[in-house]
Amino acid sequence: MTGSDYIIKRTAFAVVTVFVAITLNFIIFRAAPGDAVTGERCRNCTKEFKANLRKELGLDKSKWEQYVIYIKQLAHGDLGYSFEDKQPVAPQLWGPLKNTLPMLALGTAFSIVFGILTGVVAAWRRGTFWDRSSVLVGLGFYSLPTQWLGLMLIFFVAPMLSLPSSGISDPFLEFTDPGWWPALVDRLKHMVLPSATIGLVIYGEYTLIVRSAMLETLGEDYILTARAKGLATWTIVRKHALRNSMLPITTLIFLSLGYIVGGAILIESVFNYPGIGLLTYDAVFAKDYPIMQGAFLVLTVSVIFANYVADLLYFRLDPRITE
Amino acid sequence: MTAPVLEARDLHVWFDLPDDRELHAVQGVSFGLAPGERFGLVGESGCGKTTTILGLMGLLPPTASVAGQVVLEGENIMARGESSVAPHRWKDIAMIFQGAMNAFNPVKTIGDQIAEPMEVHGISEGDAARQRVGELLEMVGISRDRADRYPHEFSGGMRQRAAIAMALACEPKVLLADEPTTALDVMVQAQILQLLVSLTHDLGLAMVLVTHDLPLVAQVCNRAAVMYAGEIVEQGETETLYHDPGHPYTRLLFAATPDLYDESNVTSIPGGPPRLDREIAGCPFAPRCDRTFDPCPTVHPELRDLGAGHTAACHLNDPAMRAAAS
Amino acid sequence: MSAELPAAVSQPADLVRAGDGYDAPPPARRTRLRIWKVIREQPMATFGAVVLLLVILVAIFAPALAPYGPREKVGDVYQPPDSSHWLGLDDGGVDMVTLLMYGARVSLIVGFAAAAVAMLVGGAVGVLSGYFGGKTDTLLMRITDYFLVIPDVPLMIVVAAIWGKSLKNIILIIGLIYWTSTARLIRSQVKSIRERVYVKRARALGAGNSRLIFKHVMPQVAPLLIANTVLMMAIAIFAETALAFLGLGDPQKISWGLLIENAFARQAISLDAWWAIVPPGVCVAVLILACTMLGTALEDSLNPRLRVGHLSVRRFRLRPLVGRMDAE
Repeated sequence: MTGSDYIIKRTAFAVVTVFVAITLNFIIFRAAPGDAVTGERCRNCTKEFKANLRKELGLDKSKWEQYVIYIKQLAHGDLGYSFEDKQPVAPQLWGPLKNTLPMLALGTAFSIVFGILTGVVAAWRRGTFWDRSSVLVGLGFYSLPTQWLGLMLIFFVAPMLSLPSSGISDPFLEFTDPGWWPALVDRLKHMVLPSATIGLVIYGEYTLIVRSAMLETLGEDYILTARAKGLATWTIVRKHALRNSMLPITTLIFLSLGYIVGGAILIESVFNYPGIGLLTYDAVFAKDYPIMQGAFLVLTVSVIFANYVADLLYFRLDPRITE
Repeated sequence: MTAPVLEARDLHVWFDLPDDRELHAVQGVSFGLAPGERFGLVGESGCGKTTTILGLMGLLPPTASVAGQVVLEGENIMARGESSVAPHRWKDIAMIFQGAMNAFNPVKTIGDQIAEPMEVHGISEGDAARQRVGELLEMVGISRDRADRYPHEFSGGMRQRAAIAMALACEPKVLLADEPTTALDVMVQAQILQLLVSLTHDLGLAMVLVTHDLPLVAQVCNRAAVMYAGEIVEQGETETLYHDPGHPYTRLLFAATPDLYDESNVTSIPGGPPRLDREIAGCPFAPRCDRTFDPCPTVHPELRDLGAGHTAACHLNDPAMRAAAS
Repeated sequence: MSAELPAAVSQPADLVRAGDGYDAPPPARRTRLRIWKVIREQPMATFGAVVLLLVILVAIFAPALAPYGPREKVGDVYQPPDSSHWLGLDDGGVDMVTLLMYGARVSLIVGFAAAAVAMLVGGAVGVLSGYFGGKTDTLLMRITDYFLVIPDVPLMIVVAAIWGKSLKNIILIIGLIYWTSTARLIRSQVKSIRERVYVKRARALGAGNSRLIFKHVMPQVAPLLIANTVLMMAIAIFAETALAFLGLGDPQKISWGLLIENAFARQAISLDAWWAIVPPGVCVAVLILACTMLGTALEDSLNPRLRVGHLSVRRFRLRPLVGRMDAE
């Protein structure tokens, strides 16, 4: 298939997946036992009020009509209204999203860099102490429950390194009207522990992924050819194995984004970090379905988009696709 | 024979197996290769021929142990294992692998991969290397502007030619070819063989051709060795092996090759080769041989000289053995 | 009529193969032995199996082993550890060691059951997809692809937030979200089994699809499925703790996840009560580690994919020849 065919295919796939996510979103929330009007939402409401609310929320129409309305609203960027504060959902999502992304990016970058480093060394030195210990360390970090690791960092590390363990910035700092540098440092200090939490957990997974992908590549025939040509082991790893392994590694990294996004929810609740994860967490407790729905949609679409980017990246990396 | 350019002297290769056992894959293989000679190494799959040539270049995994000598122009390059054999790779001995289809890295251009050993061994680089790559490609019959293409853009036959070009990059003295024409269709096979033959003529290149395809050996090789269960059981001029084999296995191998025009049934050699993880008593071929007699199951036959460089390891060639039996 | 033919069928001198292209399906007994062999020989698998067994035993015999009752208030809120309470008390004055022992039950139950659900769904999808190929395959794989891309934890949270906090629901939710990797793995395995000679022969002899699937494909796929299920357990155990942490777990049942959540919600950190925070997480981590180690070791040895590497920093060895050769 030609290059443009591939791009079209992947774009179509991404778009369809977004639709599937939207539909899933719709089904889950509207197919819930009871609807938005029953249960704790409206314990003391009168019958008329309930009927009116139903009408307003469009719940008196058939499921299919509701679906169509839902899609239309989405197309206009309307994500409904929060049960809690009766404000539109959509604007409430962007601020927290902007807080979450740098935090996740920092942690993920750390884990990718170090994961690749240790994974490559482990595969290169297969069977030696380096390999075995890398695998054990990787497994160890992978097995730690994210939220618990966050708690551990707060309990043990924060006091040791005098890092803040809550929020995104020091509330008192703002009163002193600091320059951009101290404000940035403050932000970073608040980001360190949450990023470290996701970084460490994902590092464990990545080191195992990279090692496994490298080992697979090292079993390919062209590696034997390279060795026969007289290349040194490290040169082969660098010029052939790593380059080729980046293909499956990239795929697997992007596949783990879903988990990272989930991890954000756990981490932000532990660290009281005002990102989209915390928003979701609060919404779950408050049973604020529209916010939950909106946050879920944003998170899902982000991951789908990231995977789409990965597909395009793959296209650049692998010459076989442009055949 | 003129001074051999490459000699294997009593080469052994063992592979570690779990539970402290070993697989004795190559058992005392010896042969010599003269410059410009085409030498065939024949046998069933699993008989150790591929391991033998990998061993000549030291391309063995850490689970392997090696004994014996590999003598390149008088020097034992296996004297200190990896460190003494590695410097000779590609510069003196090069290889084309079975299934050269996969011998190329799919994400790099053919040209880059051919130039690579030249750069690594300090022979040439940059533009000079590109020049040379072009020359090599033309030598094997590929137009030089294809150097910037990727392996998947080449057909099977062309990839094999490119692999040959790559093998010649550092002007080696010996070329080891492992099943170079398997998985290619017949027309292409003929072309590749022709190419290999002309290279040995034009460049004085010595070649070891590993194959299970007997007609190929008969066509292309001057001399050949037949391997069975890790040992060479017969060695000599190809003509002699065909018309006057000294070992039942050789005879049966040639007989088992279907002749396109022959109406008679294909004879088969029933059974399979023995396991190599345990000591074999007597002749390894005895269980499948059609002419065994008394000494065969218990006494291991050594290679006997049958004249004019023809050797075979079979008790049937030993008058003393035959006398004792009857 | 038996579809199994005798193994030793003589063939023409097949010079390409030393043996025979025919490979018989290994008997079920042999694959069970293989699993046992892996557990015995590989240290990671041994560790995993032993730890798993210990946790199972503790969970089963918790009432007998635990020093106190699981809801028995025996002291003050967050009382520090001492000789009678090795890990102190939680925020309700209940002995931590007891809580940890009883908590093992939920982790194991959710782990096993959710993994079983994932295995059933994923296994079925994988077998159908790999065996029938064609349109079925394409359709099922499309669906799997969508599921793969949609982030699992948010989906799980959202569904759990709405559908409920009972253990049963949690198990179903986790199982129905995580079946995709199993499906893919089983599918590729089934595809290769389908091409094996003995399956083709059985089919030529007239064996029907369901017979082929159950008698030939499933036994071959079973070991890999088991390995994958163990790995899935690790994921399920974590998923339970995540749900519990977000208040979506079953509040009636003591679980390690709930213990972590309690420690967080009831300010154990500011009260310096490390015994309430550290142990439950350690227990979860160790159990997940055990399952992951066991599952990975099994999968590596059963999955024919991982080939020999051509590169190593270690080298082949030289042996001196005894006697034979004269000086060089």
